[in-house]
Amino acid sequence: MPKAVEMRHIRKFFPSSGVLACDDVNLSVEKGEIHAIVGENGAGKTTLMSILYGLVQPDEGQILIDEKPVRISHPNEAIHSGIGMVHQHFKLVPSFTIAENIMLGIEPNKAGFINSTTEAETVRKLADSFGLPINPNARIADISVGMQQRVEILKTLQRNAQILILDEPTAVLTPQEVHELYNVIRKLAQGGRTILLITHKLLEVKDVADRVSVMRRGRLIGTHNVADVSIRDMANMMVGREVILQVEKKPAQPGDIVLKAENLLVAGSGGVPAVFGATLEVRAGEIVGIAGVSGNGQTEFIEAIAGMRPVEGGNISLLGTDITHRKVRDRRNTGMAHIPEDRMTMGLNLLTNLDENVAVTRYQEEPYSKAGFLQFSAIRSFAQKIIKDYQVKSARVGEEIKTLSGGNLQKVVLGRELDGNPKFIIANQPTRGLDVGSIEFVHKTLVEARDKGSAILLVSVELDEILSLSDRIIVMFDGRIMGVLDIKDANEQDIGILMAGGSLEKDHPAQEKA
Amino acid sequence: MIINRLRRLVENITIPVLAVILGLLASVFFVALANADPIQTYRNLFCEGFGPQGCETFSDLVIIRVEQEDGTSQSFFSPFYGENGHSLAIVIERATILILTALSATVAFKAGMFSIGMDGQLVLGALTAVFLGVWLPKQIYALAGVPDADSAPEALRTIMHLIVPLICILAAMTVGAFYSWIAGFLKVKLNVNELISTIILNSIATQVAIWLIAFPLRSPDPNSTPRTDRIDDTAWLIPFNRVLLPDVEWLEGARVGIGIVFALIALVVIGIYLYRTTAGYEQRMTRGSRLFARFGGIPSDRAAIRAMLISGALSGLAGAIQILGVDRRVVGEFASVGYGFDGVLVAILARESIAGILLVACFYAGLQQGATNLQFGNLPRQLGGIIIAFIILFNSMENFFRSNIARLQSRIRPNRGQAAPESASGATS
Ligand SMILES: Nc1ncnc2c1ncn2[C@@H]1O[C@H](COP(=O)(O)OP(=O)(O)OP(=O)(O)O)[C@@H](O)[C@H]1O
Ligand SMILES: [Mg+2]
Repeated sequence: MPKAVEMRHIRKFFPSSGVLACDDVNLSVEKGEIHAIVGENGAGKTTLMSILYGLVQPDEGQILIDEKPVRISHPNEAIHSGIGMVHQHFKLVPSFTIAENIMLGIEPNKAGFINSTTEAETVRKLADSFGLPINPNARIADISVGMQQRVEILKTLQRNAQILILDEPTAVLTPQEVHELYNVIRKLAQGGRTILLITHKLLEVKDVADRVSVMRRGRLIGTHNVADVSIRDMANMMVGREVILQVEKKPAQPGDIVLKAENLLVAGSGGVPAVFGATLEVRAGEIVGIAGVSGNGQTEFIEAIAGMRPVEGGNISLLGTDITHRKVRDRRNTGMAHIPEDRMTMGLNLLTNLDENVAVTRYQEEPYSKAGFLQFSAIRSFAQKIIKDYQVKSARVGEEIKTLSGGNLQKVVLGRELDGNPKFIIANQPTRGLDVGSIEFVHKTLVEARDKGSAILLVSVELDEILSLSDRIIVMFDGRIMGVLDIKDANEQDIGILMAGGSLEKDHPAQEKA
Repeated sequence: MIINRLRRLVENITIPVLAVILGLLASVFFVALANADPIQTYRNLFCEGFGPQGCETFSDLVIIRVEQEDGTSQSFFSPFYGENGHSLAIVIERATILILTALSATVAFKAGMFSIGMDGQLVLGALTAVFLGVWLPKQIYALAGVPDADSAPEALRTIMHLIVPLICILAAMTVGAFYSWIAGFLKVKLNVNELISTIILNSIATQVAIWLIAFPLRSPDPNSTPRTDRIDDTAWLIPFNRVLLPDVEWLEGARVGIGIVFALIALVVIGIYLYRTTAGYEQRMTRGSRLFARFGGIPSDRAAIRAMLISGALSGLAGAIQILGVDRRVVGEFASVGYGFDGVLVAILARESIAGILLVACFYAGLQQGATNLQFGNLPRQLGGIIIAFIILFNSMENFFRSNIARLQSRIRPNRGQAAPESASGATS
């Protein structure tokens, strides 16, 4: 097999964080293969791929594309060499249409005027030729994350990418979308394209990849045929120790009601109702999971409880206090913590440093401030504690936070929110973007919080996660709660039926037969 | 840690300095267009802007040789050579207002409010100060039963010297703060873009000012151009060279007074406010991601409004100091000078850093001063503006420079790396 990509002796040191992100990395990828890259958070996966894409300049090393040495000092040169990249955090213009985003910078024009009809037509043809149906005139802001990803992929294909880099493409997708994405990837590989796939989901590696390279602390420690290694092997290679993939927990001992939401009515982004009269109770010492296909009102429901979205009707009480229309700060003071779905814009402020990010929920309390003045030493030591407890790799107090890797950013959020035994925890996609070792750790932490008496409301697109962590599961469909299942009676099949809007009641014989 | 800071400092300074050099180079084209010798022009520009009296060459900016009366000559360190006054003193005079308006812009920017309303706030502040500076003493004299200032008892005048300026300043700050608050309120309650609203508010303020100066507040002196009366002597922030330091020749001709002290205090106070207090923290966090602020429980609307109030007060203060300490009256053109916008530019050039504002304000003031004096030669005054515009242009090309520097480094380094891969990797493991 000819080699599509060869990276030799790549080395990259980031002086600002003091991290050797790539340490003499040798990677070779054959033409037409799906090559997975796995590794712990901060192992250097994104950095390595950014080097290939010309976003980051290596200190040393050589890159060969199609067995010819190239120098890639800018993404334009990468695109020219037939490389395309879909980033961990998408880079689309939300107010533009799909077609405009795909054609950005390469618009068909006549004397400088863009012809939007041809633009849409070109994009439609492109999409159809790859069997990726889209509506070219829809605006990015209005489409689902899975669709946005498709746009990112089409964007690279329009630029004629032969080598496609996908950085954690499935982190934000629903299982259905993941399935579709992998069909697309397989098709592209069969068509002769080479796929480089960064992922933390080892099951998917087994499923879709031909070969897998494992990175650990900046080093590429091995490349294997996927058929020859088990998931457990991969996990152990990544983390360097035995990983427990199963959550161990005792049965819950629910206490008093901590959170109660009654007949909640919540409007969605477009003003149309998204949640219709949902009622929910979470007790101290239990984890309640919300399952459902994305876009069935879970986000709105959670955001209303968290105070990020106004409540149109019904009420919410936390520890006996009515918080229906209270500000976020009041809710937090009452005992709420919130791990948000979107760490990049909601969970963190990437313009500032680590200290300022961890201080946000506490800056008004002693010892973090006194008489209106921030107390830096206290904030620092809190930041230090999070770095240590959550193993936020390569983070330093006082440094800009945007240089951290995706998973490490998530750990900062987790550390900030889970510290100090909050009475009520909203955990929305808590392990998104984390490596297996960290997932194990977060699961353990959540279960520990539960056992110390926290009430936890968990939302996740991973049904596995819901099933293994929750004590009770509620299923949402179309803005309604379709059913509540005790974990003892829950199985994937029932949840699947509820998620699709079905019903489990026995007096519907028609449905049972179906 | 320290090495990191140093590295960042160097990085932050390199680009502005590069921008200044490139700006000067690019402006050579226009100097040539005006049929002047570039080297000579820049020499004059810098001598007039930053040099001592008698500065004629670039080296005079550092060391100046002066002929003594007895025929010998002696060398002096130029910045301290104050015979017949020094341009740097005028730089300080001009920098005062720039520092305050730049701080005003910075406070707003740091809350994510792109307010450029400094001009309007400053003009209204200036008018408030001039009105009170004329009117208030008159009222006090009437109450005390004296016909005019000259016949007022010494004690009364001393007290007035202390409180009248203070009242004028506080009133000007209040007016500025209120005017800025309007834009903040519109933004927070009705989501009106603050850039647009402050532009409109500026032009309203300018028109109002022109009218006020032309009619209600116009000096009765019939043959003057539109301008207000001069403020009473008791409202005057008397320059140092008249009262405190009359013998310091360095200050000759410069109206440097207590104003610069206010500006420096403002620098420190705002620095502390922004970076040490919870209130400053709130407004800085609001910037970048309002969603994040709300998520963390920060009252971001309140923080934004507070930033606008402080910003307006600083611009009002700038206007008051310019009137009470320098101009002593408002002339018709005052409204259109654009001190406020200069402040915005200084803030941007300084990258909103507190120490940066001090440096950039002085540099900018010197260029302005040098350029104004250039017109005594055969060069248009606008040249100064052109140079400044180029510098800002180059400065805003930050990303371009950064990526090119990075690219340059990568062009140089791989060769070195490939030449000695063993030693390089050996050193790290
Ligand atoms: N621009 C930068 N400046 C300084 N340090 C950086 C920069 N980019 C990345 N790093 C550091 O380099 C290391 C590798 O980061 P990278 O983003 O490649 O990790 P990753 O393997 O993609 O992790 P994840 O799975 O969490 O996304 C991290 O420790 C990170 O903090
Ligand atoms: Mg990454």
